[in-house]
Amino acid sequence: MTSMVNAAEVTRLFELRGGPLRDLAERAGSVADACHAMAVRFHRGGKLVTFGTGGASADAQHVAVEFVHPVIVGKRALPAISLTTDVATVTGIAERDGIADIFSRQIRCVGQPGDIAMGISADEYSPSVLAGLRAAKELGMLTVALTGSRPDGARDGETIATSPFVDHALVAASGDPRAVKETHVTMYHVLWELVHVFFEQPGVLA
Amino acid sequence: MTSKRNDTGNDAMESLYPFLYADSSNIDAVLDQVRASTTAKAAEIDELRQVIARRDSERIARCASDMAERFAAGGRLFAFGNGGSATDAQQLATLFMHPDGSGSAHPDGPDGGFPALPAFGLANDTSVVTALCNDVGVEVVFARQLAAFGGKDDIAVGLSTSGNSDNLVRAFDEATRRGMLTVGLAGYEGGKMAELASDEDGKPASIDYLFVAPSASVHRIQEAQTTIYQVLWQLTARLTAELSPRIQQNTVEVTHVPRHTG
Repeated sequence: MTSMVNAAEVTRLFELRGGPLRDLAERAGSVADACHAMAVRFHRGGKLVTFGTGGASADAQHVAVEFVHPVIVGKRALPAISLTTDVATVTGIAERDGIADIFSRQIRCVGQPGDIAMGISADEYSPSVLAGLRAAKELGMLTVALTGSRPDGARDGETIATSPFVDHALVAASGDPRAVKETHVTMYHVLWELVHVFFEQPGVLA
Repeated sequence: MTSKRNDTGNDAMESLYPFLYADSSNIDAVLDQVRASTTAKAAEIDELRQVIARRDSERIARCASDMAERFAAGGRLFAFGNGGSATDAQQLATLFMHPDGSGSAHPDGPDGGFPALPAFGLANDTSVVTALCNDVGVEVVFARQLAAFGGKDDIAVGLSTSGNSDNLVRAFDEATRRGMLTVGLAGYEGGKMAELASDEDGKPASIDYLFVAPSASVHRIQEAQTTIYQVLWQLTARLTAELSPRIQQNTVEVTHVPRHTG
């Protein structure tokens, strides 16, 4: 066949993933701050509510199962739900109220002031994710966002990362949505693991 | 309430785990530890990806070519896994079905156009999964669906971190019986899936391409697997469009999608 890919191309694609990881290492302080704030909320009885669209909806579910059913034996189960799994509710809201409300509507229903919202988007901007974070912030929830650095339809420079409704924005430094997704996976694995470090030190959760 | 401190015991523990016994009011020390841990984990996954690129680039390229031939012949992809790997299976399916589904298409993006190709996540339908779990058992949840859908032009992709999931082993057996191309992603040393993998001797195998992320961390394994399947998708989608003019016409136009600000 005429069309081929070779090992060099595969290697090049793998190497593209290095940059965003080095950037993540440089932003370790932001990760640590987000972990601490999340641990405080969990410690006080709050739950985690996750959401995202497209591929990020799968990430939202991954985060929820990570906290509810830890892979490391002996770590305590923490309450987390994804707003992407109830297809009846998601499609119902989308049909009646519009796609931008699919998460904010659910948050106003299930969210409590002591909870944590985590919105995930591979872009800089997503109307439904931003609306969810806004609804959460207005309820008094802690808001955490995992986003990319790809301009995507933002108006007047408004992005998830710069939104006043986002307490902790963790930005993956890549314009490639696949590299962003992979960096997000590392981010939420680290968030899960390091939240538990704070549980081992209850004195810092006051 | 006061507690009596066992000095001897605690001193011994403290020398082993100084961090755990740091002044509990010293939030800065804990934050420092967490920052250092974040940096270390980023370095760990970077290194794991480099190991896989060195070891498996050639096979990943060949696997993408084989997958593209199946798609060009009219085949479909079925992805499956448990827990976090179920979300990866779902992500892989949506990558093929709705290219650039992790964000809308953007004219300045790196993507060009990718064809929309038929793909299914076998953990997505809770009715089917719970029916099979309840009526038969969790070991058949993927195999039964492949028996219903799978054909000789199709592709089965199973993801596991341990490589030991019985329902994946059963699914690969069923896929092979049906003549499907089989691709496995595992971690550690490959587990049971390593025993099913094809090797140079041409022994009968139910996994044509097995990619192992050699790590003992479930998290690093999943992160490396995400790269493997996303690279496989990117190469396969492009090759399929080149191979098949019919599919080329189905290429998703990468135009700017107007978005309202909500």
